[in-house]
Amino acid sequence: MLNKLASLKEEAVAAVVDCADLEQLQEIKIAYLGKKGTITTIAKMMGGLSAQERPKLGAALNQTKQTVEKAVGQRLMQLQAAGLTSRLAAETIDISLPGKSFVQGNQHILSRVVEEIEDIFLGMGYSIAEGPEVELDYYNFEALNLPPEHPARDMQDSFYFGESLLLRTQTSPVQVRTMEQLRPQLPVKVICPGRVYRRDDDATHSPMFHQVEGLLVDNDVSFADLKGTLLVFARRMFGEEREIRLRPSYFPFTEPSAEVDVSCFVCGGKGCRLCKGSGWIEILGSGMVHPKVLSASGYDPEQVNGFAFGMGVERVAMLKYAINDIRLLFDNDLRFISQF
Amino acid sequence: MRISYNWLKEYIDINLSPEQLAERFTMAGLEVDEIVYRGDDLQNVVVAEIKSAERVENSDHLTLCRVYDGSELLQIVCGAPNVTVGRKVALAKIGAKLPGGVKIKKAKLAGIESFGMLCSSAELGIDPEGTAGIWLLNDDLPLGIELSDALGLKDAVIVVELTPNRNDCLGMINVAHEAAALSDVRVKLPRPQYRESGGEVAQQAAIDVENSSLCPRYIGRLVKNITVGKSPAWMQQYLLASGMRPINGVVDISNFVMLETGQPLHFFDYDKLAGHKIIVRQALSGETMQTLDGKQRQLLGEEILICDGEKPVCIAGVMGGSDTEVTESTKSVLIESACFAQVPIRRASRRLGIPSEASLRFEKGVDIEGCEFASRRAVQLLCEFCGGEAARGSIDVRIAPTPTKKVKLRQKKVNQVLGTSFTQTEITEVICALGFPIEMVSDCLQVEVPTYRQDITFEIDLIEEIARIKGYDNIPITIPASAAQGRRTPQQQLIRKINQLIRTHGLIETINYSFISNKEAERLQLPTNHAWHKGLAILNPINEEQSVMRQSLLPGLLHCLTRNLNRRNDNCAIYELGKVFIPQAKADQPDEVMTLCCVLCGQAPSYWKNGGEEYDYFYLKGIIEDLLTAVGVNNAAFVRAKYSFLHPGRSAAVLVGGQEIGYIGELHPQVVANYQADGAVIAAELDLRPLLALAELLPKGEELPRYPAVNRDIALIGDNSIAAAEIEQEILRLGGKDLQEARLFDLYEGAPIEAGQRSLAYSLLFQSKQRTLTDSEIDAAFARIVAGVADKWGLKLR
Repeated sequence: MLNKLASLKEEAVAAVVDCADLEQLQEIKIAYLGKKGTITTIAKMMGGLSAQERPKLGAALNQTKQTVEKAVGQRLMQLQAAGLTSRLAAETIDISLPGKSFVQGNQHILSRVVEEIEDIFLGMGYSIAEGPEVELDYYNFEALNLPPEHPARDMQDSFYFGESLLLRTQTSPVQVRTMEQLRPQLPVKVICPGRVYRRDDDATHSPMFHQVEGLLVDNDVSFADLKGTLLVFARRMFGEEREIRLRPSYFPFTEPSAEVDVSCFVCGGKGCRLCKGSGWIEILGSGMVHPKVLSASGYDPEQVNGFAFGMGVERVAMLKYAINDIRLLFDNDLRFISQF
Repeated sequence: MRISYNWLKEYIDINLSPEQLAERFTMAGLEVDEIVYRGDDLQNVVVAEIKSAERVENSDHLTLCRVYDGSELLQIVCGAPNVTVGRKVALAKIGAKLPGGVKIKKAKLAGIESFGMLCSSAELGIDPEGTAGIWLLNDDLPLGIELSDALGLKDAVIVVELTPNRNDCLGMINVAHEAAALSDVRVKLPRPQYRESGGEVAQQAAIDVENSSLCPRYIGRLVKNITVGKSPAWMQQYLLASGMRPINGVVDISNFVMLETGQPLHFFDYDKLAGHKIIVRQALSGETMQTLDGKQRQLLGEEILICDGEKPVCIAGVMGGSDTEVTESTKSVLIESACFAQVPIRRASRRLGIPSEASLRFEKGVDIEGCEFASRRAVQLLCEFCGGEAARGSIDVRIAPTPTKKVKLRQKKVNQVLGTSFTQTEITEVICALGFPIEMVSDCLQVEVPTYRQDITFEIDLIEEIARIKGYDNIPITIPASAAQGRRTPQQQLIRKINQLIRTHGLIETINYSFISNKEAERLQLPTNHAWHKGLAILNPINEEQSVMRQSLLPGLLHCLTRNLNRRNDNCAIYELGKVFIPQAKADQPDEVMTLCCVLCGQAPSYWKNGGEEYDYFYLKGIIEDLLTAVGVNNAAFVRAKYSFLHPGRSAAVLVGGQEIGYIGELHPQVVANYQADGAVIAAELDLRPLLALAELLPKGEELPRYPAVNRDIALIGDNSIAAAEIEQEILRLGGKDLQEARLFDLYEGAPIEAGQRSLAYSLLFQSKQRTLTDSEIDAAFARIVAGVADKWGLKLR
């Protein structure tokens, strides 16, 4: 019996080692260790043995069982590992195929530039004020020190709905409306972005365009403060190496007034095509709020001062993003507006 | 304004180069456009005299000339018709270079050698529109010297773009005041002195101003016995440098004085003035007169007319009449030096389309006190260069002189406004450099403002003078001390959030004009009584397509879509977030309403694993639902509604809290055709006001459920006209409070289901906040639902 057991063990281990896959292994396991398996059958015969023979055979039987089980276990691991490897091999994909894109839309470049400007001034403590685009003559002109018969009020230059109603030609009326709302609070510190309209339509003018107006009114605001504020803006917007230059100019609602140039961000001021050789690029108009405008808005020009500035968003966008035709901005060709 | 550097030197000993002066001008507020150099491009062109001329045989136009240049006699063949023996001409010698790159070489014309060329003023680039033929120079020029030296041609013209407040600089003398202040030198004014003879002007002419508000001042002076010849060469050069053509000695003086003083003059032929009389009056409506360009002009009645004893002779400030024009035969000139109301001049010159140097100056306002000087200057020059004799005195019809303007200037205010620390002495120096008389009145500077500086009325105007003469560069740079916190309002933040959300769903933002065509309502096939037919109309639109304020963003986006489709941008997902303008019955100003509009057409960006997906109603509805959820709307509904521009079976009104805030749907095929677009176009437009009202809404945290959830699916078959949303609502109602969700996951139509019927499958989620639900409770709820929908619509369990 013991001999039979020994040869059975050898036979079983050899079969386990030889088997090719998990299925075969399972069959072998059943053939030897299953309920009707050959080793189990021998174990069942234990009952018929004598008391002396029984422990001997029992020990041998246990040892045989353990050996075969161990072999099965080892083979199982080998076969599983091989199976996983081949499954993984079979699951290989072409990792060069494109991924799933969650295609994002796009912000219009003008909105983006307005937000850039807003964010710079929000950082300097300005709030954002809004006002109507269909505006009363009073706010668009008169309160801004443009009395009737002022040449800038020519019918030719503005879109009218009636004698005293027009599309605002500038964001400056929001200055007046904001001061009227806030008086006598100080400081008045706002920027006013928005659409404005003038009766022009050519390669450099659009009948509708955007401006951002800025206003600071307080007890002690000076032209020097205006320079400082615009320098910060120019550097945030166009690069930290930029310088600014203020040239005297004229606007009815500010005095002294200044055109503001920024050192050319293409050539750095040496002179190039963009700056027409001057090293400077005009970006905005500004000045100290005219005493008449302060009075009209309910502030005493003897007590408070203010500065204001205004810029064309299209111009800033075209300069910063190298756009050469204003009409592209309102044409909305998706190939163009998706570039930004 | 074209500022001749040479001319400027007549008034000031300037110590700056033209380039330096230009830089100072720009930095003081007279923005320089360019510097035009004159005469530099003429080399080897000299003054010579034609000694003899004979026609060349076998030629119909060539002349053989012998020309003396002061040292030798040269043989020149010339083709000009006006070769005149004894006249001085411009001779381009061999080796000369002319503007435009022409180089003069020895040449042979009709077989005869020619050693140079006699030039026209156009060939010399001096007067591009000059008369045909060679340029006959004034006889007083010395022979042999370079033409550019002889004529003072070498000049730098500083071209300045004047701001509207500095019209004083439309006169060279006032430019000199400015240049003097910037270079710290004194101005030498010309002294218009002359001898008067004969009778008083007042005895020989009469001036009647009917309405002094149209003509606050009118000075007349009379110069007799003049000879109309040529003006001196220097004057011609100054005129040319200033952009005006020399005409004759008399007209040139009129223009010269205008350019010098800024005061336009008009010269009448005194002998042709009926009754030797001037009447200044408002034109009558329908009146006509012939202007000196030969045109018959119809007048509206708003023009200012100058008339003689019989008829209109001049549209004041705009254009003279042909009857009293100065001609070669004029003997006596009545000089008008006047001040007219600005607005009628502007209107007349615009309407008649004849802007001129004179009307430009009148429109901008001339110095009423400057009329006198200009009139005297004209008399002096007419006497000096046209041999005239000045009649005694003048006629001066004027309103009472305005008192001298005195403006106080406080050092403290200067420094407060500018942020500077200028001393009293520095401030005083600037005012003195400008030539403004000053006095100190109790520690405060009193500045007397010259009448030509009409832009200075208030202290702030003087502060501006200090700032710009000192230079803006000399003002320090500081940061405002004003403390304020900047932030976007909740509404502004929400607008930004909506923009971002729409973009993350793949839509591209566009910006379209706020004005649209008055045809859009028709293109959208709206009934004639629809409000969109009555948008706020612009009285003076550029064109019909941009004539009405939009009440909807849709038309702009549809035009934008078509433009893109035409350019083969086949798949478009675009939106605009902007204002629409709703007219108000009781107010002038319309309501400006923040609105969102989305338009989709073509295919959504495809993933290669799934293949393409056409944009459809549900694609856009999903975006709108996501948007409403994101801003905190929990009471939205989409209900079937009829819009003339949408597909009747594929459109809905969007309701929030039962209130209609917009629409969504596929465009009506006819509307798609009206906009020349193609295919299925999906659109939605929402009034954002109800959403912005939620801007300050804060979400509140809710505890997570602690008891297990149970899923059950239910598939119901029924008539396909029963709205899925209603079935869902009914299921939720029937399911009771523990039914948390009924989510549609399948819709099936087709065999074996009967035509006209469909199967809708919902995934139900039961969950209680208080305890674990039992199977029997869920079974009961399920049974309630099945029975309920069967009862209501006859739906059957699949």
